[in-house]
Amino acid sequence: MAGTVALEFPSEYKFLNIVDLVCGEVVQNLCDNREISNEIAISVIEAVTNAIEHGNCECSDQNVRIAFICKEDRLCVEVEDCGKGFDYQCYLQNIPDPANVYHLRGRGIFIMKNMMDSLKFEMVPGHGMKVRLEKALKPKAGGEVRKD
Amino acid sequence: MRIESREINGIVILDLQGKLMGGPDAETFKTTFHKLLEKGQKRVVVNLHGVDWINSTGMGILISGYTTMRRGGGDLRLLHVSDRIQSILYVTKLNLIFKCFDSEDEAVASFLDG
Repeated sequence: MAGTVALEFPSEYKFLNIVDLVCGEVVQNLCDNREISNEIAISVIEAVTNAIEHGNCECSDQNVRIAFICKEDRLCVEVEDCGKGFDYQCYLQNIPDPANVYHLRGRGIFIMKNMMDSLKFEMVPGHGMKVRLEKALKPKAGGEVRKD
Repeated sequence: MRIESREINGIVILDLQGKLMGGPDAETFKTTFHKLLEKGQKRVVVNLHGVDWINSTGMGILISGYTTMRRGGGDLRLLHVSDRIQSILYVTKLNLIFKCFDSEDEAVASFLDG
């Protein structure tokens, strides 16, 4: 399945549920690996949460746009807000460090970076911050086996 | 997010329903945990069976509950953690902090056994 599915909605947390449902449908059509599906869904929710909270400062008259761009072997997700951008580098701190593990906030970007293959931030002139997440839809050969 | 509270052998079980994602949820949880401590109820199992999904803000709420209970001399343990929530715990290393259980009996017994 190739093509793009796009949504635009006001900056309200209640729309996260719709995003999650659409994401689930899109990913289900592309991938049957549960771990990959979960990691995409978690990362998409983090990106949209950031766009609502930090990008648009929870202003419901400002919209968030999300596009699921389906490719043969990978999914690209673009999330765009209307904000001025923020210093995302400072959120790439080493959260699992024991000194930081009890922090209540600041994990979203770390989670996206670790769960997706690629995470890019870009300011779009006249719009806001665009986050681009990409992930292959098949497990990597010799990939890490989770030991929970 | 809806929270219902019940008790088994002195252990409080909080049954959560919905999505745990911050906003008003944070205040609801904070109040719930402080009220439990005021009543001397320090041993809490948070049942996530009815939680569709959680984001990092929601995870912060659980950490806040955990630290509140620990500082009050108690503990907070998790029950019925889905694959999706487990993935977040794993990548953030919070799986090293939270004790997770698949059965309510085991979660309750973990407190009674010490």
